[in-house]
Amino acid sequence: MKPPPFHYAAPSSVAEAVELLVAHAAAEPRVLAGGQSLIPLMNFRLAQPGHLIDLRNVAELDGIRVDGGVLVIGAMTRQSVVERSPEVALTAPLLAEAVGLVAHAPIRNSGTIGGSIAHADPAAELPAVALALDAELVATGPEGTRTIPAAEFLLGPFSTALRPDEILTEIRIPRRGGGHAFVEFARTHGNFALVGVAAQVEIEAGRVARAAIALTGVAPTAIRATAAENALLGAAPGAETIAAAADAAVTGLTPAADLHASAATRVALARSYVHRALERAISRAQDRR
Amino acid sequence: MTIVDRSAPPVRTHKDNRKWVGKSIRRVEDPKFLRGGGGYIADLVTPDMLHVAVLRSPHAHARIAAIDTVAALSAPGVHAVITGARAAALCDPLPDFGPDPANHTWRCLAVDTVRYVGEGVAVVVADDRYLAEDAAALIEVEYEPLDPVVDPERALAEGAPLVHEPLGSNCAYDRTFDFGDVETDFAEADVVIRDRLRWHRSGGQPLETVGAIADFDHATGELTVHTNSLSFTSYLFMVAGTLKIPTNKLDIIPVPAGGSFGSKLFATKPSVIAGMCSREVGRPVVYLEDRVDNMSNCDHHGSDRVYEVELAMMRDGTMRSLKIDTIDDYGAYIQFGVGHHGNALAQVTGPYRIGSVRYRVRAVLTNKNQQGAYRGFGSEVNNWMLEQMVDKAARELGLDPVQVRRQNFVRTFPHFIPTGNVYDSGNYDAVLDQALKLSDYDRWRAEQRRLLEEEGRYIGIGLITAQERSVFSATEFWFWFDEPGAPVTSMPESVTLKVDATGGITATLYSCAFWGNSPETMVAQMVAEEFDVDPYSVSIVYRGSRDGLPATGPGGSRTTVMLAGAVEGATAKIKAKARQAAAHLLEIDPDDLEWVDGGYQVKGVPERRKSLGDIAIALHLFKHSFPEEIESGLEDSKVFDHPYTTMPSADRKDLGVFYPFMGHACHVPVIEVDIETGGVRFLSYAAVHDCGTLVNPRSLAGHIVGGTAQGIGTALYEEFAYDDDGQLQATSFLDYLIPSAMEVPELKIGHAETPSPYTPHGIKGGGEGGRMMAPAALNVAVNDALAPLGVRVTELPMTPDRLLTAIRNARESR
Amino acid sequence: MTGQKRHITLTVNGRPVSADVEPRRLLVDLLREDLGLHGTHIGCEHGVCGTCTVLRDGASIRSCITFAVQADGAEISTVEGLAQGATLHPLQEEFWEKQGLQCGYCTPGMLMRACEIIERNPDPTPEQVREEIASNLCRCTGYQFITEAVVDAAKRMRADSDSTTGAQT
Repeated sequence: MKPPPFHYAAPSSVAEAVELLVAHAAAEPRVLAGGQSLIPLMNFRLAQPGHLIDLRNVAELDGIRVDGGVLVIGAMTRQSVVERSPEVALTAPLLAEAVGLVAHAPIRNSGTIGGSIAHADPAAELPAVALALDAELVATGPEGTRTIPAAEFLLGPFSTALRPDEILTEIRIPRRGGGHAFVEFARTHGNFALVGVAAQVEIEAGRVARAAIALTGVAPTAIRATAAENALLGAAPGAETIAAAADAAVTGLTPAADLHASAATRVALARSYVHRALERAISRAQDRR
Repeated sequence: MTIVDRSAPPVRTHKDNRKWVGKSIRRVEDPKFLRGGGGYIADLVTPDMLHVAVLRSPHAHARIAAIDTVAALSAPGVHAVITGARAAALCDPLPDFGPDPANHTWRCLAVDTVRYVGEGVAVVVADDRYLAEDAAALIEVEYEPLDPVVDPERALAEGAPLVHEPLGSNCAYDRTFDFGDVETDFAEADVVIRDRLRWHRSGGQPLETVGAIADFDHATGELTVHTNSLSFTSYLFMVAGTLKIPTNKLDIIPVPAGGSFGSKLFATKPSVIAGMCSREVGRPVVYLEDRVDNMSNCDHHGSDRVYEVELAMMRDGTMRSLKIDTIDDYGAYIQFGVGHHGNALAQVTGPYRIGSVRYRVRAVLTNKNQQGAYRGFGSEVNNWMLEQMVDKAARELGLDPVQVRRQNFVRTFPHFIPTGNVYDSGNYDAVLDQALKLSDYDRWRAEQRRLLEEEGRYIGIGLITAQERSVFSATEFWFWFDEPGAPVTSMPESVTLKVDATGGITATLYSCAFWGNSPETMVAQMVAEEFDVDPYSVSIVYRGSRDGLPATGPGGSRTTVMLAGAVEGATAKIKAKARQAAAHLLEIDPDDLEWVDGGYQVKGVPERRKSLGDIAIALHLFKHSFPEEIESGLEDSKVFDHPYTTMPSADRKDLGVFYPFMGHACHVPVIEVDIETGGVRFLSYAAVHDCGTLVNPRSLAGHIVGGTAQGIGTALYEEFAYDDDGQLQATSFLDYLIPSAMEVPELKIGHAETPSPYTPHGIKGGGEGGRMMAPAALNVAVNDALAPLGVRVTELPMTPDRLLTAIRNARESR
Repeated sequence: MTGQKRHITLTVNGRPVSADVEPRRLLVDLLREDLGLHGTHIGCEHGVCGTCTVLRDGASIRSCITFAVQADGAEISTVEGLAQGATLHPLQEEFWEKQGLQCGYCTPGMLMRACEIIERNPDPTPEQVREEIASNLCRCTGYQFITEAVVDAAKRMRADSDSTTGAQT
């Protein structure tokens, strides 16, 4: 289980990295962030990139700041840094809760927020958080920089709107009020979750004013549970509302079966975990008022 | 006519003022491991060695039409590429103790047909592992896929694809044994409890894979192999035979293993591959399995059984008889024969007085990696099966599950079970009583009712009482056959003790490597006990097979008992000589001396004594102080043979004694099932074991917890699942789920000590016990939790998917 | 074709090291084969089991899914750096005392991970230790005695640091 050979470069700027992506386009280059998903795949020889562009020396991609109510996180910021960031805890507590569920601490010590989102694993937590919080993903390519809404970023399993010559540079997360919850069901601690749920719920005058719910593990990408969000909007946040939203969240879902769960089991898990997420998020929203 | 041999070894008396046996001393092995200097097989790799990578089959069943190695051979750093056909010319088939080896020939690489995903088809020898894998990827194999056979029951059906054409069937073994009068017992029974049970395959998966370093010397024709596999001394000729070299030109040297749990037992393939490659290229060669090799091609998957069972009972709860019909999916080869079922038959009736047993076993071949050994070696499956039946009986008859067990307990010892095996000693009531107390059983029963009624929570209590056989004899591998090919009866273990001129003691172990058990600590404690020395002062060395004494190595919870016998025997010889020498030095009759506190002294005259050091220096350096017949030096060995084996009867209605030192345990997990997710969580877990006299209680406790963790894996998480096409689905630790610290509860551990009458100090083996109990206990616990829903789970592992499906089905059928 | 070798410099257990490595060379192979530090073991080779755990700039990482080039400029700590001559690290002492190891193969990774756990939380509860060491698999012990060892090592290290502080005042 040794990785295949590749050419390697460790540029010190985004511009240089993009140039390298363009120059080596024929070698199917890949960007190396923390490598915690890519290197295992290379050890199994399931991924065989001809060229790796390592972003570890690109200082401009590392860091967390709050800019006009928007949390801005450099794509190369390690997950463990996000996990411990006071800015993240304050501005996007949903992200703080979710990032602590990514694998185990030693993986988070290497893994980056941008790497996880760009890898677009349908079971992963961070793409779902980006989706639930309406994050904007900033990409830089030879044509310049563009901003992609999270809803348009995730195209399929391990597939995103990033072009082959683009690099994800920043994650911009607008601040949301109310209560949050990220809950997931994994068969063993730290393993990929069979189902995960991100929820952010705002309550005004005893009614749900805004609700965002995203699910992992039930579709080719993380998805928003729009029907469940609609079921919540304007409703009094009681047990019946939550149950109705949980039912709505899984209506029409057709998850793929795999070794660990049939489609029916995934649907049952999703319903149960939407329920748990909403209970927690609503309770926090109520505590916060 | 059944002729039964009931001869037994003499009953021993054990001394009760032990100084070292029974103490939880720190293990003498540990400092090197703590410092990262373990000296595992991979640590012995040096830059001059070449590395092997195996090209594995992606098909479950296919004909190999052609192999093109040209590109691989010209790749950088490549020294050789050996295909299966070439390997068949270089090596004979691998050792196979199966029923009909000529008709299911097993080789180190597939020759013309691949029979499971992961089977090796070629190897590359290159400068390093990276280059070897690069080149392996360049080998082009043309396969003609054949229909795979994956399900063991379908494999028995007429017209199923054949895994081995020459065998003419996928059934490698089918025989029914009657032990006792089964028909009468069933006829007299009030009720018969029936069930169908399914145990899927898991495996040891130690964190270190199997590896071998081979160095063939063309000048001398000698092959030296270092390996973390074990148990070679007695069977060296088979490995030598495979490599077609004289046995006395092969030296296999054991190195510490990073875990085995059975899965490194007699793992000959890596040694053969490395040896073959070294001879071919004339250089030292290392073959270390990578994780995918170990998961898919280790030859050590665990049991994979379907059971149809009938338990004959009286209404008052008395157990009468058992009919067991099991199909065991062995995978593509059957290296150990059906020895796994010998393990089952050693304790087939559990701790209960069951008068008769019918046992049918069908060993089925399918397109999967073959079975080998995994902690319990098939006896853990029998424990699980029996406890599910007992549990079902209690439920169907409306009996208390504790009482029904207790009322059937064996209470007089030695006790011969219907198969002929003996239970040497035990006190099952004492273990049960301690477990009920330790687990707070009555409180949890009340809490279970309350939580269901008040909070709708599903709590289950999984009390089981089961056996823990130890110290196998070789007969269990051949009593299956009326005319066995090799009716071996000896599985010895040897120790040499040397007392140097200063009185320092060195113990030499043979073919008995460290694999996570603690042979060094065990021997050090026993030597300390015998000679009244500090165990940390004892030096322990291992010797390779060629100049080693007969030895078998760990397996079947035998190491501690067998080493104890060898140490005791070698000690007796050394002390006899030391007594003679001391008598000369003290000018007194040897019979007037007694061993006291590390030396011989004149009875009643403690000031007239010679310490072991005094005697040793005299024996080493002052030969002419002694008479002619006393040689210089103070060193002796003991080859300790199995202390209690009797032969099976010719008609096989009695199998004789083959697993005599019978431990016992009671496990009581308390769990909660989340009926929305199928998740199982622990609320409490108590385990009481009786492995006879304790040598190092903390070490044994460690094995109980560790074995229980593996049993939890088997019960809830781990499965080598193959899909309908024979593709192995669990090929990484993301899918083969080994429990982490969050899946394993803290155990409350209790020890009972019922000494064996037949072993040194009364020790019984205890290395496998946790895993022999936990799967049974957890299944009982889950069924206890889900009983209010009418759910009974009969399949392991109990995954969320299986539990939710069972709950759904129960709801739909209501 | 193989990638061109890169020159890297790093610190391993406090000593500066430089090497020319293929970009694909895994950090664990650099440590074990090029530097001869055999204490860091290879387990699953895909980042799950934690057997290969080392510290990079004080943070635990999996050296089997880290390229050596990614450690360029870093400070790496391995099990070989724990004991000071004849004196074992408190974690090593407690693992020995509590029998927190059986085959010893996961032990170096466990020890390095435990260093980080105690560094971040000098007074962890058994429950916290369990959750944190769930990052590393042990196939032998069932984790109970490892948990005890880490909790008691933390206690010992707090006492040591208290007595050091006391001596200074």
